[in-house]
Amino acid sequence: MSSVASVINSTTGTTLIRIDGLVKQYTRDTQVLTVLDNLSLTVDEGDFVALMGPSGSGKTTLLNLIAGIDRPTSGTILVGDQQVSSMSEAALAKWRSANVGFIFQLYNLVPVLTAFENVELPLLLTNLNRARRRKQAELALSVVGLADRMDHYPRQLSGGQEQRVAIARAIATDPKLLVADEPTGDLDSKNGEEILVLMERLNSEFKKTIVMVTHDPKAASRAHRLVHLDKGVLKEDVHAEKGKAVGMAAAISASST
Amino acid sequence: MKYLPFVFKNLFRKKTRSLLTLGSILLPLFVICVMGTLLKTLSRDPSEGRGMYRLVVRHKVSLTNFIPEAYRERIFQLGGIQEMSIWCWFGGKYVDYSAKNQFARFGVEPEKFLKVFDEARFIEGTAPDWISDRAGAIVGDALAKKYGWKVGQKITLTGDIYPITLDLTIRGIYTAENASALFFNWTYVEEALPRVKGRIGTFYVKAKSAADVERLPKQIDALFENADPPTKTETEKDFQNGFVSMLGNVKFMLTGICTAIVFVILLIAANTMAMAARERVTEIAVLRTLGYQKSTILGMILGESLLLALFGGVAGLAFFVLTFPGFKAWLMNTPMAGFAAGIKLFPSVLAAGFGVAVFVGLVAGVVPAIRSARRSITDGLRQVG
Ligand SMILES: Nc1ncnc2c1ncn2[C@@H]1O[C@H](COP(=O)(O)OP(=O)(O)O)[C@@H](O)[C@H]1O
Ligand SMILES: [Mg+2]
Repeated sequence: MSSVASVINSTTGTTLIRIDGLVKQYTRDTQVLTVLDNLSLTVDEGDFVALMGPSGSGKTTLLNLIAGIDRPTSGTILVGDQQVSSMSEAALAKWRSANVGFIFQLYNLVPVLTAFENVELPLLLTNLNRARRRKQAELALSVVGLADRMDHYPRQLSGGQEQRVAIARAIATDPKLLVADEPTGDLDSKNGEEILVLMERLNSEFKKTIVMVTHDPKAASRAHRLVHLDKGVLKEDVHAEKGKAVGMAAAISASST
Repeated sequence: MKYLPFVFKNLFRKKTRSLLTLGSILLPLFVICVMGTLLKTLSRDPSEGRGMYRLVVRHKVSLTNFIPEAYRERIFQLGGIQEMSIWCWFGGKYVDYSAKNQFARFGVEPEKFLKVFDEARFIEGTAPDWISDRAGAIVGDALAKKYGWKVGQKITLTGDIYPITLDLTIRGIYTAENASALFFNWTYVEEALPRVKGRIGTFYVKAKSAADVERLPKQIDALFENADPPTKTETEKDFQNGFVSMLGNVKFMLTGICTAIVFVILLIAANTMAMAARERVTEIAVLRTLGYQKSTILGMILGESLLLALFGGVAGLAFFVLTFPGFKAWLMNTPMAGFAAGIKLFPSVLAAGFGVAVFVGLVAGVVPAIRSARRSITDGLRQVG
């Protein structure tokens, strides 16, 4: 196995994420599993990156590292001006609450809280007062088009609506960076499409930098940039104008099956 | 604290389970309060306040044996004694032998007795009324209330240990910490049964100081060590506790039961909290992803556990306080009436009950809270369910 470092850099704009020599290994007994192998990547501010790759290739691991909920074995991760890979756990938590919005495949809303209360969760960590928190949460919910469902509990919402509430929660503190782990993976195509349209809007209108893991070439085609992860290395990097990525993504997807 | 509404919602996430757990804290806490009250009543020092420095002198072997009245003079010679009175258990029958007609009846020397039993206060009748009537008696207000007795009323006690029927007239109603006995003039018995004269049950002694209380029991018993019969002298408190230990060491048993109950509710609460935390592994990982600190997660789980125990505990205390009057009234109609008269709502028992709830809440929550806070976010997110 060649261990050629894959250095993939974007060439335009200000850099938001800079990853250098990233290695992530899991040790089980004496067995060392190298999930990410000396990986480097930069992502510009305002970019919309799709991360593809076969199951088990380390997409979630990479995303977790970027979002600062996991630690690399070695290498550095710089997000904005923060060296995420070397911050203390408490500082990291604080940083996450202000700088990263996380969107999960299974929405992960708290079932005993209403849509509003779910969106308010990250705002409780700020020093905003009650009224300001309320305003902010209402704003986030109106961005995802669910202002009228504020008092509904997750079980009273459809999957697509739940994911929109989860997105509202992710943008509630107005972070620069959104990371999404297969956000449409559990939705039918119509609802998935709505989520993708929303993500596009967050990127173009609200200037969110987005890193999205997906299996779905159609979803990947929404991104401006496509990164392919396989066997611990970033193999492909496709720069494409919106709409043009479709063909490339489809090609990659076809070549990896 | 702004996380409180969330903690509340978590607490009642599984309503049935939470209510069952609340119930299994409520009822044991009620029982703990009952036991604690009994314990407290049993172990309360009866010489609190005015009635201090008292000793009881009795036959070394058993309460049912007699000692010579002549011992009195030799005891007095030891010094440090304010006053002492004959104190004889009469027993006998009032109306019938049923439980509701059981109460303590003692023969004493009225004038001396009132100086020893100096915390007693007459609320009806007077001391001279009683002292001047050989067939007079005084009764505790708890007893008077129970039977509806008034001053001037006649009471007949039919003797069994002593073959004599006492026709007594109530000359006074007294109040004291434990006002549930009847006292009459022992001379009545001595005059009717000359062979009883000079042989008494116990002496009730009031010492002059705490130092005398320390010194006297040993000295009195030493004095009669080789006499026939030898004596056993105890402080009033020890004497009463001795009664209790005759009943099979009730105190020890009550304490043991209380401890076991605390342990059981601890297990129940801990189990509930462990289940609650286990179900929420993913959710907690999500909260941490959002930026919640480990310490906040720890606080929320611990807070939930504390709330659970406090709800159950406070409900148990409230239940106890509400049912207490009925409980006491019921006990007053049993052979334990004498004991029941001393029962009240002790603030210390309620405080201890509250303390148990806090203790259970914190201890039950601590392990799940630490585990939840420590689990890595990525492990939590990978967990399905
Ligand atoms: N905590 C862990 N311990 C051991 N191996 C792990 C752990 N987490 C992930 N892995 C392994 O790392 C690899 C990459 O996982 P993941 O990032 O979830 O892949 P993807 O999201 O691309 O499907 C997989 O082989 C997985 O089994
Ligand atoms: Mg994954």
